[in-house]
Amino acid sequence: MGNNNSDTESILLVDDNPANLQILFQTLEGVGCKLLIAKNGQGALSIAGKALPDLILLDIMMPDIDGYEVCRQLKSNPATADIPVMFLSALVDTEDKVKGFHLGAVDYITKPFQPDEVIARVNTHLTIHRLKREVESKKDQLEHELEVVSEVQRKLLPKQLPVIDGFKLAVSYETSRYAGGDYYDIIEISENRWGFLIADAEGHSAPAAVLMAMTCALFRAYSDLPTDPAAVLHYLNKHLCKVADPSFMTALYAVYDAKRQTMRVARAGHPLPMIYRSSEKKAFEFDCPGVYPLGIEPYEIEIPVAEIKLGPGDRFLIYTDGLTERFNSDGETYGEERLLIPLATERAATPQAIIDAILGDLTNFAGGRPADDDQALLLGIVES
Amino acid sequence: MQITQKEENGIVSFSIKGRLDADSAPEAEKVVKEALEGPTNRVLFNLGALEYLSSAGLRVLLSAAKEMRRRDGKIVLCSLNEFVKEIFEVSGFQSLIPIAESVESGIKVLSQH
Repeated sequence: MGNNNSDTESILLVDDNPANLQILFQTLEGVGCKLLIAKNGQGALSIAGKALPDLILLDIMMPDIDGYEVCRQLKSNPATADIPVMFLSALVDTEDKVKGFHLGAVDYITKPFQPDEVIARVNTHLTIHRLKREVESKKDQLEHELEVVSEVQRKLLPKQLPVIDGFKLAVSYETSRYAGGDYYDIIEISENRWGFLIADAEGHSAPAAVLMAMTCALFRAYSDLPTDPAAVLHYLNKHLCKVADPSFMTALYAVYDAKRQTMRVARAGHPLPMIYRSSEKKAFEFDCPGVYPLGIEPYEIEIPVAEIKLGPGDRFLIYTDGLTERFNSDGETYGEERLLIPLATERAATPQAIIDAILGDLTNFAGGRPADDDQALLLGIVES
Repeated sequence: MQITQKEENGIVSFSIKGRLDADSAPEAEKVVKEALEGPTNRVLFNLGALEYLSSAGLRVLLSAAKEMRRRDGKIVLCSLNEFVKEIFEVSGFQSLIPIAESVESGIKVLSQH
């Protein structure tokens, strides 16, 4: 019978009866794998741990350590847990078979066995085991590649936050998988004026990471001073329209004038900025008008720009929707209303402490359910 | 998420119930794509039972709208609840895809020449 087995693969045969072992050995001589033998449970565990065979044929009734116990120990050791185990036993009761399967065996053959049947089943399990290993190795390779993408991506983010006179900053950036679609950047435009960009590619992982990297390259290649938020979004959109389909990118660009303490905001499908007014001790969403996300089609209209004056102690938060769309185990989302609460906290004063308060509240809310989208947030506080 | 579809008087209608998010968007996308393999150029989405919509869900609707634009066809979204309507407003999608208050008024939008 044809098979894809190779002599780099091995099968461990375990039986306390030498005559049985010999029959089994002769039966499987032709399958093309190296055959290892053990005459008792202890020997089986020792050989399995060293040789890591591709399949184990295991007798149940043996003195000292029986087959069930051998199987249990193999499955509880990470090194041997993935080796498929087939029981070969004279025990014919359903109960015995079920017990074997419960312990993690892949098959159960009753003795006396039909040689052809044993060969066929052995080949099947070797094939399954081989395919499983291949899938795992491909998966490892893909994960490794994504890790590399993720490392490159982190290098695209600002290495450190700039020191702005009278405006303190903090940021948090987390990807849900290795690579993500969130991006933020801060640029010094001219004396006392700073540009803040936050963007979020629809989806996550590698395709989103490509859009994120494109947006970063485009933004840094902007040839004028990026003082006009509308012009910056028009420019990014013009270029992203050529590559984003069928995805898109939400973005918000804000220019802070440290002298006048004003923030001018243009928004493309991105969540509204949030403001905390120190004088009123109140946080709210800054309801600024916007246009649809970047990368869909050119804007035929003027992009609206909204301006807001900030005062001493005021907080300005921009974020990606991975934060507000984070689920808890009941399937509820965190939402904007909840986010306003830690933003208004009185217990913390520095931007980092407020971000920590937000993330702490979010973690509490999620209750152990991991994030399934990327999360970025950038917070600035006007110094009192 | 549940998505159903029917064709009546040359209009392909989809009803989406539940949550259209990153988990369910691929399934909805497949149903919509297959239904649009036909020659139709009138598409209606009944979103009356849609509880939640994420950006992945917006992408499904956007793909259908782009396809209708390529065909010189029409698309309309109907009966959005307040929450979903707000998502459309904040994300700017209301200027990309026409929205109607009810299925009846949606059919009227599609029937205009």
